[in-house]
Amino acid sequence: MHPIEQATRYTNDLSRRDSLRVGGLTALGLGLGDMLRLRRVSAGETTEPSFGRAKSCILIWLDGGPSHLETFDPKPDAPTEVRGPLGSIATPLAGVRLGECLPNTAAMIDKFAIIRSMTSPLGEHNFGTHYLMTGYKPTPVLEYPTFGAVLSHVREAASVLPPHVAVPDFRVGGASFSGGGYLPRSAMPFAVGGDPAKPEFKVRDLDLYPGMDLERLARRREFVQAMDRLSSSGGSPVVSSGSDLDRAYDLISSADAKRAFRLSDESPHVRKRYGGKSIGQCCLLARRLVERGVPFVTVNNRGWDTHDDLKTRLKEGYTGAQVGVGLIPSLDLALTALVADLHDRRLLDETLIVVMGEFGRTPKLNASAGRDHWPRVFSCLLAGGGVRGGQVIGSSDSVGESPKDRPITPSDLAATIYTLLGIDPKLELHTDDGRPVRVATHDATIISELLS
Amino acid sequence: MITTTYGRYGLSWWMLMHLVSGSAYADDRSSHADDQATLRQEYVVDFENDIIPVLTKAGCNTGACHGAAVGRGGFRLSLYGGDPELDYQSIVFDLEGRRVNLAKPDDSLVVLKPTESISHGGGYRLDDDGSGAERLRNWVRQGATNQTNKHLREFIVSPRRQTLQSLESSVALASTASFSDGSEFDVTQWTVFTAEDPGSVVIDPETAVATVLRRGRHLVIARYLHHVVPIELLVPWSDENVSYVVATRRNFIDDVVADRLAQLRIPVSPPATDATFLRRVSLDLTGQLPAMETVREFATSDHPSKREKLVDRLLQSPEFTDYWTMQLAKLLRIRATPDGREGLLAYQAWLKQCVADGTGYDDMVRTLLLADGDTHVMGPANFYRTVAGAREQAEFVSELLMGSRLRCANCHNHPLDRWTQDDYHGLAAIFAKVQSGRVVSVTRRGEVTHPRTGEPAKPRIPGEAFLDVQGDQRAALASWVTDASNPYFAKAIVNRLWKAMMGRGLVEPADDFRSTNPATHPELLDQLAKDFIDHGYQIRRTLQTIAMSSTYARGAPFDGNEFDVSFYSHAFSRSLSPEVLADAMSDVIGLHERYGDEPSGTRAVMLVDSATASETLDVLGRCSREESCESSGNSAGGLTRMLHLINGPILNQRITAANNRLSQLVAVNANADVIVDEFYELALSRKPSDGERQYWSAAFEKSNPQDRRKLFEDFVWGLLNSQEFITNH
Repeated sequence: MHPIEQATRYTNDLSRRDSLRVGGLTALGLGLGDMLRLRRVSAGETTEPSFGRAKSCILIWLDGGPSHLETFDPKPDAPTEVRGPLGSIATPLAGVRLGECLPNTAAMIDKFAIIRSMTSPLGEHNFGTHYLMTGYKPTPVLEYPTFGAVLSHVREAASVLPPHVAVPDFRVGGASFSGGGYLPRSAMPFAVGGDPAKPEFKVRDLDLYPGMDLERLARRREFVQAMDRLSSSGGSPVVSSGSDLDRAYDLISSADAKRAFRLSDESPHVRKRYGGKSIGQCCLLARRLVERGVPFVTVNNRGWDTHDDLKTRLKEGYTGAQVGVGLIPSLDLALTALVADLHDRRLLDETLIVVMGEFGRTPKLNASAGRDHWPRVFSCLLAGGGVRGGQVIGSSDSVGESPKDRPITPSDLAATIYTLLGIDPKLELHTDDGRPVRVATHDATIISELLS
Repeated sequence: MITTTYGRYGLSWWMLMHLVSGSAYADDRSSHADDQATLRQEYVVDFENDIIPVLTKAGCNTGACHGAAVGRGGFRLSLYGGDPELDYQSIVFDLEGRRVNLAKPDDSLVVLKPTESISHGGGYRLDDDGSGAERLRNWVRQGATNQTNKHLREFIVSPRRQTLQSLESSVALASTASFSDGSEFDVTQWTVFTAEDPGSVVIDPETAVATVLRRGRHLVIARYLHHVVPIELLVPWSDENVSYVVATRRNFIDDVVADRLAQLRIPVSPPATDATFLRRVSLDLTGQLPAMETVREFATSDHPSKREKLVDRLLQSPEFTDYWTMQLAKLLRIRATPDGREGLLAYQAWLKQCVADGTGYDDMVRTLLLADGDTHVMGPANFYRTVAGAREQAEFVSELLMGSRLRCANCHNHPLDRWTQDDYHGLAAIFAKVQSGRVVSVTRRGEVTHPRTGEPAKPRIPGEAFLDVQGDQRAALASWVTDASNPYFAKAIVNRLWKAMMGRGLVEPADDFRSTNPATHPELLDQLAKDFIDHGYQIRRTLQTIAMSSTYARGAPFDGNEFDVSFYSHAFSRSLSPEVLADAMSDVIGLHERYGDEPSGTRAVMLVDSATASETLDVLGRCSREESCESSGNSAGGLTRMLHLINGPILNQRITAANNRLSQLVAVNANADVIVDEFYELALSRKPSDGERQYWSAAFEKSNPQDRRKLFEDFVWGLLNSQEFITNH
């Protein structure tokens, strides 16, 4: 870091330029020239073969902390209180079993890489969410940006669609977790605000108010800009409402962008293939967005905080269901439909898919037939752009309590995700007071066996 | 590590950071080991006072390692050595005593593991030749006893506050421990020094020399045994003295703030104009924009004390009562209970009466703490229905009345403050006897279990004294809380009042007072608290004092102090709260918004029920009051909010309505200048500048008559979305 330059930039215009040069971009603004330079710098500094293989990323976030023991790391030989109420099934990979509710995933295991030795010390939802979604343990001095925020910040906009979309919402990590971290507000995820699985689904407030037209909307924007420009007092001149307004205007005025959200354009067959639950239709919408150049989509799926009654919540969906429609069967359908669909459209190689939550669950069942928070070991799954499928990385011990080998931290995972997305983990971004911060932590190491 | 069923929100960031961050590993050099404890032959190594600091310094007992609630690798230590008995048990007796080898002290696991002489999951923590390892070996050699005949009386750190003149300057940190037997040791090498922001201050773990890399004020926390002490390091923002606009001194606030700015060499903005001051203080005291007549009167008045008179008038207005009732209701998290709104209405009515009457805050709190009876009639009794459970009540009370997060002391002694599990469960024990159904009453039974002893916790005033197990101890608690000598109570509330007026608390977050989270201006906090106590705990008095300071009346930032976010060199621009913004929009448009089934004309700040249906307030990001409203960020901002303002009904419906202010002006054929002037005065409390007038007359000239009304609507919409309107600045 360059403390002298940093400290004097407020009094000296030259040093502000210096800070631009040092880091490649700042929160104050970023021109195309800077961007191109950044790209070159990034690509030149890394030798990873999979660097930049993925153009976009779909994060399927299992909010609440999915049980590793019922999904990607079953323990069929462990005692009953560890094994839990659900069984396991074989996959085409020798010796690799998955939870019984994941038959489709098991059949397509050649597409998936599973990490069974994720480990973190943070067993509280918000802390865990921050750590998994940013690669940094949370601290009081700085809110770190999520992968989606970083990606949308450094990528050139490919369309007027927001670069970081959350479906149906981004209500994760606590009320103060914006997802944008120290980056400008434009990096914050855009929540579509409706559940695509509902028949009346539409993006909230995307259609013009009756009596309004685009010409008037343009005029309103012009008036706001004029007022902010002419006002001598008032708020900060740097972060004005203008940027939100511009983005909103661009989105509203683009018929093509709006069409991206129209799930009714999909055939009933396709819609059914993804499953009727929220996670399925959210994944379908994610595919439509990625197809149109949105770099990052977070599919936020709730309900994985299963402190009680695992069997109903994870498998059945409701008590006594004949065919399981719980969390895991819905995930199984959505995930495999998404991967197959992307593959058919020749998009799988450039789309990274990550499935994870903030931690795993306790190895022993609790008194309510549920499992509590357990971050010491848990699993995650990756597929698509640059990922070598058909493998299991790391393992947990016989009861799923601790990593047995190859412990991998959320920081390591973050560095790997950035690498796949073509962002050098060592890249420095700047907070709005000019502090350089690396996108991944200093101690993060890339999970090389994950890369194809 | 927290492994089970914690709530989803609101644990302290600070707590987390310290639970997970291992300290810098202790790579002790024997040359540095001026370690009287191990050098003196006759000295018997004392487990509690000599060994635990070694473990803490080496990072063994952090939350990420053996200090986790379930230990690590089958070995559990108490967090930062908070429970020496447990640690002694773990090291000496657990694992069949294999961790110490009395026959071959050098082969004790407690030595071999951290020096990585054998495989250790936590890696290399102690130099085999260093004084830490030596001390451990000596202790085992002497029989690994648990004797101690002294306790730490004082932990002195120097410097406590230091201003460095330039970047990359260094300062050597040092610490001394003095014990009850009169002995005193230099414990610098056993003290864990942690920079709050490691990107700003780098501390050499061997020499304890701190180097400051960034300008401004930085904190370093020094930890030794159970003592934690903050150190403040400053590097001024400029290497040269800056020229100040010397602001008039109006009261004690200005002295402290000016001193701090001079120390940090931050230049001060010129005072705010009358119009800016009028708008700012009206929003802060009444949550409302000033009326148009007030704007005009204030602009033309040349009365020398017009600001004082304005502040006095606002403080006595019914709008003040409404707004500050809402502010306090948010703090108290007043909301409907599952069994209906009666309790809510009674509680709110009581609170509003207190605010209107100017009841002392100490009286209010005494009433709350001692309340009982039918909650549908006795408003304050609903205080005991805010949260469910005695422990939760203890957490709520500590955050509200002490500004402290006692909750960290549930599972272990607070790692960053003085609070112990006895304090936490002792406070909860006081509330355990309170039955809080519809009727709140105190029973003879009711207890909470102390997790360490498994026995009922003894009622206790936090940090002070145990109370009698029998009887209702709320009175003892209430008199301790509201006593003038209470070190937390007055500070916690004046800090919140300061934050409401200034946009930032002297202590941030406002519910996280800790010795390790000192105020930016400690003297100011003391003086504000003293003034508050001396004047009968009057909220109006403190608000008035702040409003009349020249610190409050500063103008906007300029190029030279715009980086300042905590020292009040300029006014801090803040977003209007959802309720205030919604009301301000209604006032400018000239039409009320309907909230749920409330009568037309009900303002958002007057809503009794925070769950009253309102898409507007939801989109603007109101607080549900189910959790503390203090830490909730404005995550409802950004594109989602903008889309709603553009396409939702909140503005569109009323701007186009036939009976709004615009319609009335158009109906009397007001010309464009008049319309622009009036809306500017309403929304921004000022007349448009020449540049703005020119812009608008050009914009309106171009229009054709049919488009005129729409053009005005777009003007009003633009005004309501301008940065100057949506902020208090």
